[in-house]
Amino acid sequence: MTDIDTRALDRELKRGSAELLILSLLDARPRHGYELGKLIETRSRGELKFHLDSLYPLLYRLEERKWIKGSWVEKAGERRRRFYKVTPEGRRVLAEQKKTWEKFVEAVRRVTGDDHA
Amino acid sequence: MPEWRTDIRARLAHLDLPPAREAEIIDELAQHLEDHYRELLAGGVDPVEAERLARSDFQAGNVLAKYIAALKLAHPPVAITPGAPSSRPFGGLWQDLRYAARMLRNNAAFTATAVLTLALGIGANAAIFALVDATLLRPLPLPSPDRLVSVYETTAQTQRSYVSGANLNDWNEQLRTFERIAAFAPNVASMVLGSEGGVPETVPRQWVTAGIFDVLGLQPIAGRVFSDEDDRSRASVVVLNERFWRERYNADPGIIDTPIRLDGEMWTVVGVVPETTDVIGRSSIWALRPLLGAPPRVRAVYNLRAIGRLRPGIDLDTARADITRVAATLATEYPETNTGRGAALEPLRDTVIGGDLRQTSILFLSVVAFVLLICCANVANLLLARAAARRREFALRSALGADRRRVIRQLLTESLALSLTGGVLGLGLGAVILQVAPAVIPPGLLPPTLTLSLDLRVVVFCAVTAVFVGLLFGLAPAWQATDFAAARTIASSSRSTTARGSGLRSVLVAGQVATAVALLVGAGLLLRSLVAVENVDRGYRADQVLTMMVDPPGMPSLVQFYDTVEKEVMAVPGVASVGWATTLPLGESYLGSVPFSVVGDPPAAQGREPEADYQIVSASYFRALDLPIVAGRAFDDRDIDGRVPVAIVNEAFVERYLPGRDPIGQRIGIVQYWIEGRPAMMREIVGVARQVKGSVDEREPMLQIYVPLAQEPMGDIFMMVRASAGDAAALTSGVRAAIARVDTAQLVSVRSIMTLDDVLAQGTSRHRFRATLVIAFAALALALAMVGLFGVLAYTVQQRSREFGLRRALGATTRDVLRQVARAALPMIVAGAAAGLALAVVLGQLIASMLVGVQPVDVATYIGVVVLVGLTAAASMASPAWRATRVDPAIALRSE
Repeated sequence: MTDIDTRALDRELKRGSAELLILSLLDARPRHGYELGKLIETRSRGELKFHLDSLYPLLYRLEERKWIKGSWVEKAGERRRRFYKVTPEGRRVLAEQKKTWEKFVEAVRRVTGDDHA
Repeated sequence: MPEWRTDIRARLAHLDLPPAREAEIIDELAQHLEDHYRELLAGGVDPVEAERLARSDFQAGNVLAKYIAALKLAHPPVAITPGAPSSRPFGGLWQDLRYAARMLRNNAAFTATAVLTLALGIGANAAIFALVDATLLRPLPLPSPDRLVSVYETTAQTQRSYVSGANLNDWNEQLRTFERIAAFAPNVASMVLGSEGGVPETVPRQWVTAGIFDVLGLQPIAGRVFSDEDDRSRASVVVLNERFWRERYNADPGIIDTPIRLDGEMWTVVGVVPETTDVIGRSSIWALRPLLGAPPRVRAVYNLRAIGRLRPGIDLDTARADITRVAATLATEYPETNTGRGAALEPLRDTVIGGDLRQTSILFLSVVAFVLLICCANVANLLLARAAARRREFALRSALGADRRRVIRQLLTESLALSLTGGVLGLGLGAVILQVAPAVIPPGLLPPTLTLSLDLRVVVFCAVTAVFVGLLFGLAPAWQATDFAAARTIASSSRSTTARGSGLRSVLVAGQVATAVALLVGAGLLLRSLVAVENVDRGYRADQVLTMMVDPPGMPSLVQFYDTVEKEVMAVPGVASVGWATTLPLGESYLGSVPFSVVGDPPAAQGREPEADYQIVSASYFRALDLPIVAGRAFDDRDIDGRVPVAIVNEAFVERYLPGRDPIGQRIGIVQYWIEGRPAMMREIVGVARQVKGSVDEREPMLQIYVPLAQEPMGDIFMMVRASAGDAAALTSGVRAAIARVDTAQLVSVRSIMTLDDVLAQGTSRHRFRATLVIAFAALALALAMVGLFGVLAYTVQQRSREFGLRRALGATTRDVLRQVARAALPMIVAGAAAGLALAVVLGQLIASMLVGVQPVDVATYIGVVVLVGLTAAASMASPAWRATRVDPAIALRSE
């Protein structure tokens, strides 16, 4: 029997899901960091909240992996902002992660569902 | 508006991010906080609370820095700022290495020159180190080799007499400090191995006593070794050498306990022993010589070489005291034979390696060390020249804040990179040298068990040498080049000569010249020794003589056999004459020296008789070798068994023991130790033979007694066949066929076929090997020194081209300019040569024992070397001097 390292699993789930969240939000259109944080918080109705000091390092990491790309955009009368968009590589990863996530949710659902059946 | 940036910057401060990236992050995060703050204000929160809430976007502790530190952006590749100070002691070592690699790649010519020079030096050292390792450092390849000693008997004449089997038995019974002593016959002879239906073959065989393998600590590979029971029962048993067993019997274990026919008799193979047994003699078969139960007269037969194994923990002095005590006991017990006989011990390793080989190894090692020094000096010179060219770079670095230590480290990294590359190449070169060495090294120079191999020890030696020389030739240039104060003052003018640099380089060149001169003198002395030994007056006049050892076993009449063979060989076309002798001129004496007394002279004390080399020769010997009889007559048909025993002595014998007397008719008493129990044999001198050399480098003329073969028949004897014309070696097959016609039973073993010129060449091979190698290294040293001289002069001329141009413009002639160049070169050469000659005087004394026919301080050699160095120096000066005279004043001055 293999022991499940529940702490590691937890960490992986969190990190994997955070990446998934960001990639899918950016898939729709380019956004800046504040908007991303805000969207995650509002759409999860306050269940998920990113602190600034974990959100940006995560963005930088995705950028280093070349899944997203940030660029400075200046609009008239505003200070410049850094917008992020998904790269083709990021899109491929997103599709994969979505699939994995759906399978995982489905598996969990089946397990928990059977108990109730 | 709150100030966000200070807070963010503080959180990132210790990460040491690239400034541009840090600014971006601060911008982005500040924007985030600003957005949040504004939103709160817009939502009606008061500014103080809004700021507090916005700042709460940061979690407790510096999480931001922690996360960012894990990202790549926090670890940018370090920009190479050569010479920038580093906080860590070895920080930037990789960077140094990469920079060094780039510098060396960009200066391919310089790098190639330096690396090849070093490879030469290190390669030569690696090969010689392998020799030194084998001869001086490695123990013998036997178990507990430090407990093995050679055991000799001593007499008033010699400290190294062979051992009598009876004494050896008594030693084994009475000694307390030895586990055992065993012995072997000094010479490897041969036996004829019969094969069914096939051609009989001659196989090298050595006699050994029963305990020899136990003493050596060697276990049989198959079967067993000799037992004491074999000894007691005087069994006809042999063991095979592993090499012979594999080659001749395909390692067939079935050979054990099988009888084989040797010299026509049946012997049983009891076992196979490892090749290491070669340490006592390179043989294929070891046959048992029984010692137990031998008749008492054997005590006077001294014909064995003994090796003993000390008990654990016994030192040499204790063992010496023990064996001396036993020898004294034996002297009282057997006064007739043992009075005046003691015993001496020597570590077996010293016996096997031998003083001559050890000296040669040390000589070679010193020579290659000198060559390596010259290589280092050359590379140091190259580095100095380059360092001078790079002064602007160093000055610039210093201005940018590089500290001296850091730049020195950079330069040392470069020189280490050079030396390590040279070391790797040198190791390869050493491997190649060791591959070809066996073909070049004269046979017999190295003991049979000693092999030259490129092992881990040689690799380590190369690595250590490379690092050492890297520091040696790198330190001075690095130190000097980084004298920034000087560098700044000269940076403005590229034309200033760097006085101190050229001074150091001149000293290096002078040192190279000195080393080359010393080596050349050594090479010259060895060359003169070689010439002396090659042109040694052999005494006999015949050239083109073929020799072979003939061993007819169990013949009813040896004399008749030799006569028949002689007649048969004489009939071979091209044969002028045939003779027989137990010793080859300039070869090893087979019977050795015998004690003798001149009848009528007062007798010498027992054990203090004079000794002379004893040689049995046929009547035809003197004619065959064209060895003149200077007084009396040669042997002839009168001198046969049953007639008056006669002898011929040589000139040195007469001078020493019969001065002012007519030697003819004098009688001498000869103790024939090898004929068991026979008392001294009286012989009448019938002739005096011309002096022949005992060995090419003998210090004193050899005393010789010749006796006629017909009166003293002997197996194991050399036949000498003189060719009437042409090459003696061409007679070989005809002579062998003639012997075969006589030896119908195929019992005669014929071996050691060579010409007398071969014997001489073997005798001189050590001298030739030594001289050749030292000459080669000295030539290499000279070439390297001259390259160094050339380099310095070429550089000087380049530096002074403006000066030469000016001189030309002011009317200096070509001769004047040449004089200027010579003036730059001469002090280096003269000082170097003088120092070299002084060094040569010291070195000459160290190699005095290797010199023959030449004194350690030999003026002719000195003059020759000085002339040679002068000529080559002139040659290496030619090109720079020519260039100096070709400086165009207009061009030289224009560039100012």
